[in-house]
Amino acid sequence: MSNTLRPYLSAVRSTLTAALTLENFSSQVVERHNKPEVEVGGSKEVLLNPLTISRNENERVLIESSVNSIRLSIKIKQADEIERILCHKFARFMMQRAESFIVLRRKPVPGYDISFLITNGHTETMLKHKIVDFIIHFMEEVDKEISEMKLSLNARARVVAESYLTTIILETGSFFMYPTSIIN
Amino acid sequence: MDSFRKIDIDAFDEDVLLETELYDADPRDPAQVLDDAKAKAAAVRSSLSKGDIPGALTAVLDGAPYGPNVDEAKTLALQTLVTILNSTKSSDVSNIVKSLSQDQQDTLMKYIYKGMAMPGWGDVSGSVLLGWHEKLTEAAGIGCIVRTMTDRRIV
Repeated sequence: MSNTLRPYLSAVRSTLTAALTLENFSSQVVERHNKPEVEVGGSKEVLLNPLTISRNENERVLIESSVNSIRLSIKIKQADEIERILCHKFARFMMQRAESFIVLRRKPVPGYDISFLITNGHTETMLKHKIVDFIIHFMEEVDKEISEMKLSLNARARVVAESYLTTIILETGSFFMYPTSIIN
Repeated sequence: MDSFRKIDIDAFDEDVLLETELYDADPRDPAQVLDDAKAKAAAVRSSLSKGDIPGALTAVLDGAPYGPNVDEAKTLALQTLVTILNSTKSSDVSNIVKSLSQDQQDTLMKYIYKGMAMPGWGDVSGSVLLGWHEKLTEAAGIGCIVRTMTDRRIV
């Protein structure tokens, strides 16, 4: 792991561990309802201060906590247009399958690329440190995954362009009937 | 026609919780808070020129401005603190955070999170803040982060 990534992930890990102290909490407004208070946002006393951890302007994590649920939103690094498209498609792919990831939210919080919603039910049925490990692992992998996809996309584009241009050369017999400016 | 259904009737309840009931307000007057912050900024500059980082940090962390109507003092305090954090050698950080009292550590943690929430503002640098965050968590533990989350006196 690179040197600049490590303190970022360790800050996310400690903040998430601190935030994951959840308990069962019934709705204060509706009888026999039990909802994630961070999503309802109805009463001030059960919401805690949201915390942001940022590495730079393009990479940050927002952790909003409440008495029975926390919402963790990640802004993934997007250096150029291709990474932006890949990141959008990748996040969309996963959010369409959100129920398989259990803690994934179906929609990201505005300004972020992907969000997780962890409720007290999740911390009761799963191990808390494993949830934290999963989030950290996800953050490690997603950068790697996107840069890998970018490389394979470029490689594929090069092969396509090469084979396409080869057929043109074969059909026309000569590459030199085009003005040199196009070839270069 | 159905707009009355959208009215939040709980907001008109007589025992509704107000923002001011969540924490004790700062007894100081906003103008005085700003003066204090300015005096502290000057004191910090003189301690920094002498290389007295712990003294500068203690000065800015005690009596930090919080609550409504003191935005200017808050900005000034954050600016002062970021200057101190940036001018500290990374090898000294862990000793400095250990020497702070618990209240000072909590306030420092609040400022670190506040600085991280506005990347690119002033001379806030993500890597410096993350370095301080790591050392402070080592010294003060997870409880310090929990207190930052639960304390309503937002700096």
